[in-house]
This record gives sequence, C-alpha cells and structure tokens, in this order.
Amino acid sequence: MAELGSYSLRIALLLAVTGLCTAVYAGRRGNANWQRVADRAVWATFAFVSVAMGALFTAFATHDFGIAYVASHSARSMDLSYRLAALWGGQDGSLLLWLWILLAYATACVLVNRHRNRKLMPWVVAVLLANAIFFLALLLGVTDPFEKLPPDHVMSDGRGLNPLLQHPVMLIHPLMLYTGLVGFVIPYAFAFATLVTGELGTQWFRTTRRSTLFAWTFLSIGVVLGGRWAYEVLGWGGYWAWDPVENASFMPWLTATAYLHSVMIQEKRNMLKTWNLLLIGLTYSLCLFGTFLTRSGIVQSVHAFAQTPIFTGLFLGYVLVTMTFFGAALWFRRKGLRSPNQLESMLSREASFLLNNWVFVAILMVIFWGTLFPVFSEALSGQRIAVGPKFFNTMAGPLALLLLLLTGVGPLIAWRRANAASLRRQFLWPIVACAAMAGLLLLTSAQRDLYGLAAWSLGSFALTAILQDFSRAIRARMRGRKENPFRAIVTLLVRNQQRYGGYVVHIGAILILMGTAGSVLNVERLQNIQPGAEIEMGEYRLLYLNAEAIPAQHYGGAVARLALYRGDEGLAVMQPEKRMYWLEEQPASIPSVYSTLREDVYVILTAIESDGSATVKVYRNPLVNWIWIGAVVFVLGCIIVMWPHPERRTRREAQ
Amino acid sequence: MSKGFQIAAGATAIALLLGWYGWSQLEDGSTFSYYQSLEEFLLSSEIGEHARVHGYVAEGSIQRDVPGRQVLFVVQESPPHAGGDGGARLDVIFTSLETPDLFKGGAEVVVEGRQLGGAGNRRFEADKVFAKCPSKFEGSQSDPTRSAALD
Repeated sequence: MAELGSYSLRIALLLAVTGLCTAVYAGRRGNANWQRVADRAVWATFAFVSVAMGALFTAFATHDFGIAYVASHSARSMDLSYRLAALWGGQDGSLLLWLWILLAYATACVLVNRHRNRKLMPWVVAVLLANAIFFLALLLGVTDPFEKLPPDHVMSDGRGLNPLLQHPVMLIHPLMLYTGLVGFVIPYAFAFATLVTGELGTQWFRTTRRSTLFAWTFLSIGVVLGGRWAYEVLGWGGYWAWDPVENASFMPWLTATAYLHSVMIQEKRNMLKTWNLLLIGLTYSLCLFGTFLTRSGIVQSVHAFAQTPIFTGLFLGYVLVTMTFFGAALWFRRKGLRSPNQLESMLSREASFLLNNWVFVAILMVIFWGTLFPVFSEALSGQRIAVGPKFFNTMAGPLALLLLLLTGVGPLIAWRRANAASLRRQFLWPIVACAAMAGLLLLTSAQRDLYGLAAWSLGSFALTAILQDFSRAIRARMRGRKENPFRAIVTLLVRNQQRYGGYVVHIGAILILMGTAGSVLNVERLQNIQPGAEIEMGEYRLLYLNAEAIPAQHYGGAVARLALYRGDEGLAVMQPEKRMYWLEEQPASIPSVYSTLREDVYVILTAIESDGSATVKVYRNPLVNWIWIGAVVFVLGCIIVMWPHPERRTRREAQ
Repeated sequence: MSKGFQIAAGATAIALLLGWYGWSQLEDGSTFSYYQSLEEFLLSSEIGEHARVHGYVAEGSIQRDVPGRQVLFVVQESPPHAGGDGGARLDVIFTSLETPDLFKGGAEVVVEGRQLGGAGNRRFEADKVFAKCPSKFEGSQSDPTRSAALD
C-alpha cells in the first residue's frame, strides 16, 4: 500500500505541474485547446490523489503497521470507523485530506464551468493547481504519510489514537472543518483570475456564490461541532475556550461572513468592489494561516501537532506567497475597481451592512491580537505573555451585542435612504419586544448580569424584526394571492430564497448568541461525598448511589451513579465515567449531562477516593441546548439559500 | 466633510476606543505569563509572590487529603524516568481535590499559585494545576512555549 500511495502522489505531482504550465499558457494565449488539457490534468490529479487516499484508508483498515503513520495513529483494538478516521488524526494524513478536498473542489469547479467563464478558467485552474502542488510537494518531501518503518521497528500492533479523538464527533468534525476551510480556495481562485484578466465585473462572485456559501456552511458546522466535541469530551464544563485552534477556525469564518454581507452591496449598488476582493483574499489567507498557527506550535494549544522547523518555514512561506500575490494583483488593478456610487445616507441598509462589516473585522482584530499576543509580547519585551478567555469575552462580547442589534436593524431599514415614517412603522414592535424582554428579566430574575440582559433583550429585538418581516410578507401573499399560510411560507422561501433563507440563518445565529449568553448564569460546584449523601444545587439534588468498575474493554476505569432529583421528582441516573485507556496510557473523564431546553446539569467524576467517597464536579449551564438548536436552524437556512431552484436555473440558461 | 472622511474618522475613533478598552483589559489581570522552570523559580522567587512553575510530579509523592480538601505532592525539576535524582524539589499544596485527568506520578505539570515559607521551609500553595499530555502523542513531543518561534 505504501508504494501505491507514494507513487500515486508522485504521478499526481507531475500531472499537476503539467496542468499548471498548460493553464498559464492557455491563459496567456487564450487557447481553448490547451485549456482543455489543463482541465483534464485537474481530473487526473484528483484521480491519483484519490488512489493515494484509498491506499492510506486500506492501510488503516488492514493494520498495515509497516507504515509509520498507521502504526502511530491506530491499533488493532480500535473499531474500523475510528481506524479509518485516524487518517485525519495526525498531521500527515490531515494534509493528505486537505489536498484531496482541494482537488475535489477543483474537479467540481472545472466540471461546472466547462462551458462557462472560459476567460477566467485558465487562471482559476492555475491557482487551484498551484495550491495543490504545494501540498503535494509537502506530502512527498516533508510529511510523508506513506513513510515506512525500518523492518526491525515494525510491531504487531500500533500505538493507538489519542483517546480524546475516539469520539463520534471526531469522525466528521475534521471533514466538515476542512470542507469549509479548503472551500474558500474557489472564490479565492476566481477573485485572483478576475484580477489577472482585468475582467472586473460581477461574474466572479456570481459564479462562486454557491461554492462560497457551501464552504461557509461547512465551516460553520465544523466550528459548532468542535464546540460540541469539547463539551462532551474534554470535561471542563464548557464548549468554547478561546484556544488558538478554535480561534484559527473562527477567524476566516468572521471575514467570510463579512464578505457574504458586503457582496450584497456590490450586487445591489455596485460599491465596495475592492473591499470584497480584499475580504475573500483575507479569508483564504486566514484559512491557511490558521492551519499554520495550530500546526506550527508558535502559540501553545491543546491541539498543536508536533512541529518540524522545515514544515513551519515552508507553510509560513506558503501563506505569505498566497497573500502577497493576491495583494499585488489587487494593487495593480486598484484604478479599475473604483466604485461609481457613493453611500447616500447613514440611515440605509448599505450603511448598516457596512457597520456590520466593521464589527466583524473588529472581532477579527481582537481575536488575532489576542491569539498572537504571546508572540508579540515576546518580540517586544522578551517575555511570553498570554491572554486568557476573560480578555476575549470582555472584548468580543460587546461587539457580538452590536452584531445582534444590527441583525435586527438590517431587515427593518430600506436600501439607499430610509424615511422617518417607515422607520417608525418598522421599529415599533421589535422595540416593544426588546423592552418587554428586558422588563421581564429585571422583574423575574435575581440575576442582574448586564451582558445577559443585553443579549436576551437585543435577541428578542432581532427575532421580532425578522418574524415581523416574515409575517408581513406572508400576509401580503395570503391577501393578494389567496394562498394558505403554509403555501405562502413555501413560496416565499422558494421565490426569494436568498432573503428569507438568509433570515432563517439569522434566526439560528441569534439563538446561538442567546444560548451562549446563558454562560453568564453558569454555576459550578466541586464536592466530595460518601455513598448515600447528596449534593444540592438550586432546586436540583444529586444523590450519590454507588460506583463500580467499567467492564474491561480497550479502556477500563470507574463509573459513578448519581440520581438526579428536582424536588422529589426523579429525573435521571447520571453516570459520569473516569476512563483509563490502557494502550495509550491516557485517562479521560467522560461527563454525564442531563439536558433540557432550560439548562444542562453536567456532572464530572473527578476521583473515586480511597475511602470510597467520590469527588464530583457539577455544573449547571443554562440555555446550552439553544446553541445546538440554533446551529440546526442555521444550517437549515443555509440549505434554503443554496437549494438549487429549477425555475431559476432555466431562467438563467435562457438569458 | 466628504463621506469618505467621515467614515475614516468614525473607523479610527472606533479603533482607538477598542484599542484603549483592550489595553485596560490587559492590565486587569486577564493575562498570565508563561511559566518558569522549577530551578528558575527557586532562584528568584520571594514569599507570597504569584508564579507559574513547571516541573514533574515526583513518583509516589501524591497524597489526597480528602477531609482537608487538598492534594499534597512534590514537584521536581526533571522527569523521573530520565534517571538521576530528579534535580530540585518543591513541596506543593494544591487547595482543591479537582486534579486534572493527566495528573499522576511522573506527569509533567505547571502549578500556579504562590510561595509559602522561606528558604529551608519552602512550600508552594497552588490554586491551579495543569497537567500535560503524555509525550507519546504528537500533541506534546516538544514544549512549544520554549522553542523559538521559527528557528
């Protein structure tokens, strides 16, 4: 298998280099035949890299421990699904996966555009293949996943996979995240081709709209799944810690989200051309930079892979080249990108979108400086100083509130210039809802946390604004076309999928933000109890029943049983585990969670003490479920926006 | 004033405000320094001083004092499996029972807290203990905080 994989990668490299040369030649000469050759080179490269992926999967499935990567990331005792997922459990395999996804996108792009965008395509293919060549060279030269162990080092079993990664979420989380991160190469390539050819129209973003949304959706899913995994596996009671690896995936999400908004201004008003190109260049660069950041170990992270200086240097070079080329092309075309239109009024939807962009960029800056603070402080003062989650929360929190406000204002305010009468009509109910929520919270809750109060009030404001827009449109259809309400909703979503699908995405985002604000009311308690004793937490009681050994498998350990009561009503038996993975010699605490729409009770077994008592940590985390619910709504909205629409397609083809 | 100027002025004002706010947050104790090695700490520390110290848990030194809700252990300079006497040692009192998963004899740890008692009777009262992954996994083969960024 090692030979098959290794030679496939070598052939793929040859094909990619050939494809790059022909694509550049075709682009310069405008030669369609050479371009067809380049297109086919993309398919062929993809085919050979797929063979390499297949070879590595097969090696994992068949316990081929002669391959160093397989031996150090799997073991016979692991389920087949985890052995296959071990392919992205380490650096070498992750890079192969990255390359494969990149080429899958490239192939799809070439197929979709075989009759379209013929002027841009040579440069698009050139950019895609140039990226692929970098990864191919890296895989063949520095991080070879097919490297064989010397014969006298081959063992009958592998060393296993980090037990923290042996979790169902880990089967798909990296796939989602990479599909998101890598996907931004498509808009990047089209933006680059636009700048090279000087075809500065709207074609590049119209063509890449769906693929950008696709990548963005998967990046969002990846980020949320990462949080879910942390919540269920890491056992510290939270889902987001502002760890560099989390920030690395969040930064490109911020610029991409800003782009998705500002590109609408370009579409409607032909403004912000340079800004949009800049955002897309920045997004792709941040995707690469994030990978560099977490893989290079320049900032400490729980997820950092082992580093080799040569890898670090090469990857940093790659990120810089990606940025420099794009920046230079943008500078070269700066005159052609001037906008004929000006912002007319600060009271317009454009202005609110612009403000939204600033807020996204401000959050990006906060996270960027915060994440890299150890590096900067070392350069300035010689001492590495890190900033903790408190810094990020206090900095990004108010900005998130501003976003929440803008989410509500967006649908209420007209394009170009809003007038006073329309503003009054639009803002009345959302403001009433906001005030009602604030009043309700102040009257009923003893908790007076400013952030929570603001988040839930502004959340109600934004939700009402969106629902008001929906209901007006639905009622208009019911009156005008005599449709029943259900039919009216469906037609709305079908006819204007971008607008109303976008609102569904917003509802999801609002729910997520309102859910995360629940963390201001988190309560935690560490207690040592004997069997038969209880822990009290608000209206909950946890009765410690007993503890016993986990039936031996590839891990052992203890499970504690605690009965959860509210008043006298028995709710659940919670069974937090303390595991020991034998082969990997690594312990893990698996929390037990009782989850309702209102709050989660989250229990961790810290230790079974020698006197038979248990040390237990209990968290009460309000509203966590709304984060996952919000995420589902969010993705649903994304699907509505992206859903291929037969009527629209025929109309486009007719044009 | 042109629109462009207004926008630029607004953006600058917001950026300055944010920068100032961020700076004030930094001084507010939300930052932390990276740690010192045990030997560095023993050379420089003073009683009561807040510190983060890196070392290894001496084998067999962990005592869980459940009634007292604390864990006592000894931190030494070099890993026990490296042989030798393990270098400098420091008694640590961890004021919680909430030890991390990876905490055990021989584990690489960072303890955060303050020093009690002077030379001769030096102890360390830790309010936080961080344990690092076993070095078998890629996650921690080397210490990222000490390797220079891009050498």
